[in-house]
Amino acid sequence: MGSNALPGSTGSWSDMARIAKTSWFHWMNAAGFVSLAISVASAHAGSFAVTVKQHNARPLIGAVVTLEAQSPAQPPAPPVKAIMDQVNLAFVPDLLVIPVHSSVQFPNSDTISHQVYSFSSARKFQLPLYRGKPYPPVMFDEPGVVTLGCNIHDNMLAYILVTAAPFFGHTDANGAWAVPNLPPGKYRVRIWHPLLNEPQDLEREIEVGAEHEAIEMRLARDLRPAPLTGRPRSWEY
Amino acid sequence: MGILTCRVALSVCALAAIGSAHAAEWELALDVRAVSSDGRESFLENGQGKFRFDEDHQGIQLGRLRAAWQQPLGEVFSAHVEASAWGGADKNPVDLTEAFLEYRPYPRAGIRTRLRLGAFYPPMSLENRALGWETPYTITPSAISSWIGEEIRTVGLEAQVDWLGTRLGHHFDLQITAAAFGWNDPAGTMLAVHGFAFHDRQTTLFGRVGAPQPNLGLAKKELLHEIDGRPGFYVGAQARYLDRAVLNLLHYDNHADPTAREPSIRDFSWLTKFDAAALRMETGNGWTALLQALDGSTFIAPGGFWLGWKFDSQSALLAKRRGAHMLAARYDWFNVEFQGDPAASGSEDGHACALAYSYDTGKRWRLALEWLRVKSAVPARVALLGEPALATETKLEFSARYSLSGAY
Repeated sequence: MGSNALPGSTGSWSDMARIAKTSWFHWMNAAGFVSLAISVASAHAGSFAVTVKQHNARPLIGAVVTLEAQSPAQPPAPPVKAIMDQVNLAFVPDLLVIPVHSSVQFPNSDTISHQVYSFSSARKFQLPLYRGKPYPPVMFDEPGVVTLGCNIHDNMLAYILVTAAPFFGHTDANGAWAVPNLPPGKYRVRIWHPLLNEPQDLEREIEVGAEHEAIEMRLARDLRPAPLTGRPRSWEY
Repeated sequence: MGILTCRVALSVCALAAIGSAHAAEWELALDVRAVSSDGRESFLENGQGKFRFDEDHQGIQLGRLRAAWQQPLGEVFSAHVEASAWGGADKNPVDLTEAFLEYRPYPRAGIRTRLRLGAFYPPMSLENRALGWETPYTITPSAISSWIGEEIRTVGLEAQVDWLGTRLGHHFDLQITAAAFGWNDPAGTMLAVHGFAFHDRQTTLFGRVGAPQPNLGLAKKELLHEIDGRPGFYVGAQARYLDRAVLNLLHYDNHADPTAREPSIRDFSWLTKFDAAALRMETGNGWTALLQALDGSTFIAPGGFWLGWKFDSQSALLAKRRGAHMLAARYDWFNVEFQGDPAASGSEDGHACALAYSYDTGKRWRLALEWLRVKSAVPARVALLGEPALATETKLEFSARYSLSGAY
């Protein structure tokens, strides 16, 4: 995954079709493979593929897949430095997936002020973002979903998923994500998406040997409606 | 109402000087209209017409010249000022419609509190959601929003508590609001004088409604005054389902003493209470449905003799937005009943239909075209003006608005 700054990518979970095309999406998949190259030492590596389907059997695009090593234990992916910007009254990108101990910088490219907050248990913080005022990056040391809002503009919403998993990525336009070389062992596959409406966490235990392991996971319920977009700026929430 | 607002304004200026380290935001907007109208003499001329622009006010007109300013004062306080010029004969060519201080701390554990002190609108219109308390759907707001803009303003302190459920993984956000206010004792006057009207002109904090005709005791009304020294209150609740549906409820009671009178403005203290409900639903493909209802009463008791007006209005709006284009249709019903007698002078009954197209790229220009027809039966037309009670008024209006905004 490396320690280079994350490019200011423009993925949006509110537009799933667009997600599959973003550089962010490809970057995150590539990052998974870099992590893999660092971690894989076994000559008997297997491979793993998952396809995630919505309740209506359509592919779930842009879902976050994490692969947590159960036994033997494996360290999390190396931390990264990421950026979440504010552009035209929106977080850009509005979904980041980062390994634990990563940092995220929150610039403000708008001419107006924002006040970013999170009261999620994984990371509570608040930042007054005035135009042109740089602020130190925020560290994320606990795994979990961090929901972000702006205290001035209530319709701004974004997520940072902090993971301790050695492997993670996003499903593609076919709802698929795969790891070609995986150390044998037991893993827990977890699926997360901002619009999930599931009664419980979407996860499954798998055992990877020297062969190819492929699973399909299907949502029990329909997704929540995606946030509305494209309203003129003069409309208040 | 003047003294309190002056003090608030001075405090705002003083605090603004302290808080000038943070960027202030400003907006300027000029809205020019081209109007074709067969409206009866406007209520602004003390007539019984329902429009702001009547038959004698057609052609090119000033819709609104608006300046707004927001100044952060440290992290959690901010000052907000809205000033407008509406044209026509008013006491002040430019005046304030809102001016308040806001305290908005960061939310904790999903709960956020908010306080506003000054002069502002109660949180009840899901229609007038655009900057400057304007409706984005049409040029002319519904009868309900027109009346709120004409007579209702909170001059006092309001507290809100939000439960930000969507930030906690739930589908709902909830909000409760309570306020105590003064300077709204004349609210209800205009409903008794001319009933509901259809216009986007918001009464300013120091301005007047109506023409200076000395022979009519109800002309040139100053609507934001404290008369009886008794504060009013409102309580409200709002529930949101994601960003798709909003339900808003409000109970307002200005708690006025209907026997009190203020000779300097030739007006009574009107005991006005109402309940308002609104539901707005939006879909991912650009549809908006908006339902509004208002039900209330207003009383005066000169010399202990009670005079009462009951009023109600309902409104249904359907809009479809596609990119920068939006089409909207709205239907309004409105009714005022004086002393329980629908045929009495002071009663009215009517309905209205509006169709509008607007083009808003979200940048500097917004263009809109609206057709509005109001049919109303107003017995006062016979008694006061010798006109037939029934009138159908139609207006075609084009609006071109140019906005600038920035921060410094």
